[in-house]
Order: sequence, then structure tokens, then C-alpha cells
Amino acid sequence: MESTDGTTSVQRPADAELHRRLVYGDESALAEAYGAYGGLVQAVAVRVTRSRAAAEDVAQEVFAQLWSRPYAFDARRGSLRTWLSLLAHRRAVDWVRGEARHRKDARADDLALYGIPDASPGPAEAVVDRERALLLHTALAELPQPQREVVHLAYFAGRTYRQAAVELGIPEGTAKTRLRTALRALAETLADPPDPAWEDGA
Amino acid sequence: MAHDGGRGTQGRGRAVTDHDDVRDLLAAWAFGALEPAEERLVPPHLAECESCATEAERLRATVRLLDGPPLAEPPSPLDTLLTGALRVRPAPPRVARHAAPYAAAVAGLEALLPELAGRWSTPVVHDWDVHATVAHLLAADEHLALRLGIDARVPGARIDEDADWADAWERRTAEVIAHEHGRTPEETVAAWSAQAAALLGTPYARDPELAAGTTLLMGLRLPVTAHFLARAFEAWIHTDDIGRALGLAVPPPPEEHLGQLVGLAVRVLGTVLGAEAPPVLFAVRGGEEWVLGSHSDPVAAELTLDAVDFCLLVGGRYAPDTVPRDSTGDAAAVRNVLERAASLSWL
Repeated sequence: MESTDGTTSVQRPADAELHRRLVYGDESALAEAYGAYGGLVQAVAVRVTRSRAAAEDVAQEVFAQLWSRPYAFDARRGSLRTWLSLLAHRRAVDWVRGEARHRKDARADDLALYGIPDASPGPAEAVVDRERALLLHTALAELPQPQREVVHLAYFAGRTYRQAAVELGIPEGTAKTRLRTALRALAETLADPPDPAWEDGA
Repeated sequence: MAHDGGRGTQGRGRAVTDHDDVRDLLAAWAFGALEPAEERLVPPHLAECESCATEAERLRATVRLLDGPPLAEPPSPLDTLLTGALRVRPAPPRVARHAAPYAAAVAGLEALLPELAGRWSTPVVHDWDVHATVAHLLAADEHLALRLGIDARVPGARIDEDADWADAWERRTAEVIAHEHGRTPEETVAAWSAQAAALLGTPYARDPELAAGTTLLMGLRLPVTAHFLARAFEAWIHTDDIGRALGLAVPPPPEEHLGQLVGLAVRVLGTVLGAEAPPVLFAVRGGEEWVLGSHSDPVAAELTLDAVDFCLLVGGRYAPDTVPRDSTGDAAAVRNVLERAASLSWL
């Protein structure tokens, strides 16, 4: 198989075969994909949304997407595991940002109607942590793809950096470096948040 | 200075190497992505290196925030998840074995549709763009649809038993493409899809005995089962054409369906070659083999092709000279088979 952009093409026959069955409408392939990766998808969604119900919605969305748009996944470019993990993370971040907007709007409404200040549930510290976590996950979703892929395999999918390197077809040193660059960038985001709006209401 | 590559017990040089090594591992360590052997190296170094200890704590605090609070994660019940997905994209209809390849090929083209937005004018094959290719499929499937009692979707359809089928075929394709040119791609897709669903909804798609009866279409008198396979073949080849034009890799049909398509192609090829041609033992890799040509003379040559390559040859997407093949024996006999196979293409 020719590679399109000069990068090493890692053979993934199982993914290619699953993709083939999905394309041709074989529902048992969807059940298999869920069996293999449903846990990972939900684990990612739960970490970001911190809500079981939201995580189920995200999982539903992700697998409906895989089934209805199978060509959005290209088996030549990466593993199904990585693709599903990245998609789940993106959808989960979208969900949380949607929720944050609703909460903000609700608070603004309360304030305007009743003069009631911020009445978020739980201790103030938990609120700050939740907003900082969203900041991190948003920043993670915006990291360059090569860094995101290693982070997803090494962190969400529980691989060692060596296993991640093999799965991505990259040298071990590169995997280590990408993890380091990524995590340092995330830590920087906390120290120096990009959006001043994060500081109000916290 | 000797460097044995392992963990030696020499003094200051070793400490510097350790520091660099551990520092490079800190992010992986913070993510919990180290094997036990490497993980063991980290805490002792942190105890004696303040800069690494500071960085390690910073990185670990970041990961802790990513973790979130512990939450038990019971997975979604599988059936609700599947039901939701199937509402967005229904599974292909359940049909008899001979119609399953067509049902799957239709599903395969439908799966490509979301990727076509804004790209309908991309040139595909002949002088057709994506829109015209789908319009062609609407015209191509129509012949079988009319034969099975389904009404045409585009005005001007006629069943003309006497006309040269190749002329009628081309004429109808041109008419339908011209007609659909005045409609949106979505409308053309809807018409094609509805006609395909109607074909798959007929008793002929579900009842193998009923479909065993023969009918003359495209110059071939074959059972209706075979004509369904020809529809599948055409739908797949044109989906592949569209995919190539858009840079998307269209997977070949599932093995079982591919086997049926190969079987049909071999059957027709055998008929076209006739009983006088020098016999060639023809095989598809990982599949069956057949003797093509005379059955009363010793085999003159052996020819092996991949199933997909053979289908592409019959579909006119490979030239007989350049299709990948393994062969031994009489080269002329082999060439004869390859050229006859290529001549079958009506696509």
C-alpha cells in the first residue's frame, strides 16, 4: 500500500476489516466496535464531563457518528481506537462548554431577576477545579494532532509510551518528547489562561 | 570512555545520564504510562533532584485535574446505543443471499454520501461528475426495475425488446443524466435510493425460487438472481470510481459478496470464451478455480488474479496488459482470457 504523505504506514488489518463491514452496513460490526472501544469512549467522556449521563450521551453520539459516517475514519491514517478517543474527547468538551454557557446564562438570569449572586452547588474549590479542568481539556483538544494522539493512547487508553509508539509507528523517543511537550503546554495553560473570561464568576 | 549501554556502577557520569533520562520520562510518568521497570527509576531521582521534583509535581497536578473526581462508569446498554445509531442510518433490508450484495453495495454508496457535500462537480469517470455518476446508476438500475414491475422515476423509460441493448443503455443514461442535471444532487440521490429500495423490496429480492427464472437484460439471458448481482457489481464499481475521484479508499465488498460477484463474472466470461478456446485454469487468490474454454483438451495455461483486480478488469478499470496477475504456460491463451474479460465491461 502506498503511503500518502511519506509517513510510516502501520498495518491495521483488524481496523480495516471492521471499517469494511461498517461501510457495507453490517450492524454486527458496530456492536463489535462498541464492545472493543465503548469502555474507552465512556472513560474519556466521564473524565471531561464528570457526569455519567453526559458520558452516555457522548458515547451514543460517537458510535452513531462511526456508523453513519464511516468514511470520516480513514484506516490508513490512524487506529480506530485513537480516532474514537479523540472524537469522544471533542464531543465531551463541546458538551461541557455548552453546559458552562447554560450555567452562566442561568446565573445571569437569576441575578437580573432576583439579585441572587452565584449559587453554584458544592464547595468553591470544586467549582474552580471544574473550570480549570475544562480549561485543560479544551487546551488538550486544541493541541497538534501528533501530540494529541500520543496523549490519548498513553493516558486515556492506558498504554505505556512504548506501546503508544508502536501503535502510532513512531520512535519511542518521539513518543516521550510529544508527551512532555503536550503536558508542559497544558500546565502552562493553567498558569497563564488564554481567556480572561475564565477568571470571572470563579 | 566505554559505554556499555546498560546501568553501570560508575560515579558522576552515571548521575548525569540518569537525570536526563528521568527528566525525559516525567511526562510519561505523570500520565501513568511507564512500565514498572522505568517507573521504579523516578522516585529515587526526585528525592535528590529539586528541579525534577518541581516539574514532576507540576505535571502530576495537571494530570490530576484532567482525571476529574472518581466516578464509576457503567457502560451504556448496548441495545439503546445501537437503536440510536440505526435511527440515524438504517441497516440494509434483509434479503435473500443473491440480493444481499446489492443491498450492501447500496449501503456502501449511501455511506459515502456525507463526504460528497460541496464536491458533486468533481470529475469521476467518462465525462461524468459525481452527480452524473449517481444519475447513471439511476438509469442503469432502471432496466431491472422495469422488468420487475417497478415504475420508472424519470419520464421516458421504455422497454424495447428489439433495440440493440448497448444503444438503449447509453441512450437512457444520457437522458437521465440530462434530466437530473436540472435537479439537485440530493434529489437524484433520493430517486436512486428509492428505486434501489423498491428493487430490494420486491419478492424477487427475497424469494430465491421466484428469482431463479431467467430474463433477458443487457443482452444476457440470466436468472434474476444474476441480474441482482450485476446491479451490485455496478454499484460497487461506481462507488469505487467516486471514492478514487475524492481520494477516499472504498473497501472491497465483504468476502462472501465478492465471491458471488466473481462467480457471476466467471460464468459470463466462460460463455463468451466459448467451448473452443484453448483451456486456461483460472483461479482467484484465496478462492476457487475454474477451467475456462475447452473442457476436452489439456489445460494450456494457468492464470491467477486477486478477486478485486479481476472484478476491476471485468469492470473496465484495469487494462488486460497491466492487471496484476500470475500466469504460467501459453501466453496467448492467457492474453485471450484477459482480453475477453476486459471486453465484458459495460460500465
